[in-house]
Amino acid sequence: MPLISRLMIKLSLLYLLTGISLGALMLINKAWLISPLLWFVLPIHIEFLIFGWIIQFTLGVAYWILPRFLETKGRGNKILAWFMVVFLNGGILLAAFSGYGLGRSFTLTGRIFEVLAVALFISLHWKRVVTYNRG
Amino acid sequence: MPLITRLFIKSGLIFFLIALLIGVSSQAEVLNFDGITPLFWHALMVGWITQIIMGVSMWMFPGRVKEESFQNQKWGWLTFGFLNVGLGLRLIAEPFVNTSDTELWNILLVISALFQFIAVAAYVIEIWPRVMSKRQRRKKRKDGV
Repeated sequence: MPLISRLMIKLSLLYLLTGISLGALMLINKAWLISPLLWFVLPIHIEFLIFGWIIQFTLGVAYWILPRFLETKGRGNKILAWFMVVFLNGGILLAAFSGYGLGRSFTLTGRIFEVLAVALFISLHWKRVVTYNRG
Repeated sequence: MPLITRLFIKSGLIFFLIALLIGVSSQAEVLNFDGITPLFWHALMVGWITQIIMGVSMWMFPGRVKEESFQNQKWGWLTFGFLNVGLGLRLIAEPFVNTSDTELWNILLVISALFQFIAVAAYVIEIWPRVMSKRQRRKKRKDGV
C-alpha cells in the first residue's frame, strides 16, 4: 500500500473516531441533556464523517488498488497526489470550522479546495480505469 | 470471502433497504414523525455505507489472519455486534424519545450511542495496524507475526 493511501486511510480513521465521538455525544445529549451548545458541533460531525471518513477512505483505497500504469508500474504524478491530499484535508478542516466565526469566505475556500482535490483525483485516476485483458 | 465480511455486507444490505423504507415513510403523512430525517441518514450512512466499507476492508486489507475464529477476528466481531445492535437500538428508541415520557427510550438511546462508539473504536483497533506498506507486510510475514 503506497504512502499516500496509508496517510489518507489513517487520516480517515481519525476523522471517523472524532466524528463518531461527536455524534455519540449529540445522541446522548438528545436523551439526557448535557448542554444545548453540543448541537453546534453538528457541522463538524457531518463534514468529518462524509468527507473525512467515507470520501477520504474510498479515495485512498482507490489510489492503492486501481491498476497501475503498465510501463512505469507507478500511480502517476506523486506531487499532484500530495496536492490532492493537502487540498482535501485543508478543505475538510476549513469547511468544518468555518461556521464558528471564520466567515463564509472560509467555507467557500474549503469547498473550492475539496473540488480541487476531487479534480486532481479524477485526473490521476482517469487513465488507470482500464483493463489489460486483450481478449 | 470470510464469514464476518459476508455478514457485514448482508447486514449492510438490510440497513440499505431499511433506510429507503424510512425515506418512503418520511414522505407519507401517516408514517412521518419528528426526527425521522436523522434516522434515514444514519441507516444509510452508518448501516449501509460504513458497514460495507468496514466489512470489505477487513477482508481486503493486508495482514488478515486466514484462519477464521472469534479469537483471530475478535475486534471485527466486536465491531459487527456493537455497530448493528447500536444502530438497531437507535432506530427503535429515537422515535419515542421526543414523544414518550418513559425513561427506557432515553436509556436505550444512550446505550446506542455508546455501542456505536465502541464499534468504531474496535474497528480502528483492527484496521489501523493493517494499513501497511509492502515492505512492512513482507517484514511482518518474515517475522512470523
